[in-house]
Amino acid sequence: MMLVPVTYKGGIYQHDIVIDLIEDLGGYVVQKHVLAQEVVLQCFVPKDDIELIREISRPIFGEVTDSPLVGTEIAIVSMSLEIHHLPHPSCDIAEYVRRIGAKSNMVSLARGPGKRITGLNDEERDVINEHDIAVYLMGNFETCIEHKMPILLRGIEVPVVVCGAPDKETLIRIVDPPVEGYVGGVGRFMRRTKEADQLDKLDEIVAEITRVLEKKRENLAKDPLSVAPARLMNLIRERIPAILDVTSPTPLTVQMAGLRVKLPYDTFAPELKRMEIEDGITLGDIAEVAPSRMRDYILVKVLPFSETNTVI
Amino acid sequence: MLAVEYFEVECPEPVGAEYYKQITNDVLLDHNLLKVIEKLHIYIDPEVTVFVAVGILRPITTVVRVGDIANINPQEGKMTLVISDETYLARMLKVFWEHFGKDRVEQPDRFTVILYNVKEEAKGLENIVIAHPSESLNKDLIYAFRCISPEGFRLRSERFERGKFSFVASEDTLVENIDELVRAKFALMGEVP
Repeated sequence: MMLVPVTYKGGIYQHDIVIDLIEDLGGYVVQKHVLAQEVVLQCFVPKDDIELIREISRPIFGEVTDSPLVGTEIAIVSMSLEIHHLPHPSCDIAEYVRRIGAKSNMVSLARGPGKRITGLNDEERDVINEHDIAVYLMGNFETCIEHKMPILLRGIEVPVVVCGAPDKETLIRIVDPPVEGYVGGVGRFMRRTKEADQLDKLDEIVAEITRVLEKKRENLAKDPLSVAPARLMNLIRERIPAILDVTSPTPLTVQMAGLRVKLPYDTFAPELKRMEIEDGITLGDIAEVAPSRMRDYILVKVLPFSETNTVI
Repeated sequence: MLAVEYFEVECPEPVGAEYYKQITNDVLLDHNLLKVIEKLHIYIDPEVTVFVAVGILRPITTVVRVGDIANINPQEGKMTLVISDETYLARMLKVFWEHFGKDRVEQPDRFTVILYNVKEEAKGLENIVIAHPSESLNKDLIYAFRCISPEGFRLRSERFERGKFSFVASEDTLVENIDELVRAKFALMGEVP
């Protein structure tokens, strides 16, 4: 059964019918947002059953759309938190990818700006590496981008998409070591992205992120994970009730190959490791439970089949 | 930048120059400073890491008077002022306290000021000067150019005098003769610093 990420949008009335249907079909609801009279569900559903969900949600005016970024956590790396970079373009891009299902975090560097003075410390590097992909928002000068990129990419293991004012060809030429994705024509600017051409650029960034993540998904499919992170999310929600008291918008953040659990590591990590998934197999057997560099959260990295010899 | 007579951004990288032209326009527009700048030349060299902004300011002769921000309603023994713009309210109250004394000035709510037993007529009251916007202009311009210049360029040298200004910023210590560079940029606009 192949699960695909989709977004369901509809009225609050009878939306539980859709949730039940998704769960009965073997899908997972990753995030649920209730906004006044509207409900937005970000979920994984079996590919063959999308039509069925569409059909059943039609009488209650529900809409099902593809959302390739559902179930991914993206680091939007901004060079600083100063007015130079915020709210445009950093927040605009972070918000745009959020709208189509991704969980985006803004990672702002302590010494990001400048050319000679730029740097990346170990905490920033580790936080970026905890995500599925990092989007670097660079500036307007190719001289600076060329000079900075080797420093800012030091120790980064996740795929990177670089955005900058020079065109894509120039970025490909100057960024060393090479990264997975490039979007030209998006440098530092200080106006809201609302015109059609600016929105097209945001779509281009999303397309590039999607392309890079598809490639990562293909690689993951070659050696499948021992358990689907979305399934793990549901299990943790059932077995560890403390997660229900967390006020964060996403107490459990699903990633492509893991999960961020927003509970204190020292208190809950042993309980998580002991949590049984199925037939006596515990979470500790099939996943690495590590402390996150983001606050005192827990990072669950699901191990692939080749390491555990188990797929649940 | 329709209001500016001369506006150029000079940079060895044409794409960067285009972006900085846009940034300058947006920032000056946001800070409502376009109308005070007559000429502006910006030079950026990311190789050397230097940002230079030189320009000529329009003389600001306007002053803010009581009549500009309040409607005066004379009554028996008192004058009621209905405030339409709060921006200069605090400064207006300060002027009133100095002129009439604190015991004669009352502010019952946010948008109302009452003056008791003042000898001044409504016309005279309207003409009292409460603020000179030109006083804070230099401070506003420096802040705007800090927003425009690349963030890493933290070593700055600013000069604002006789309606002319220069703003130089760099990432490194400014070793070369900055005055010469500033003079050369002024010359491009047909001016002298």
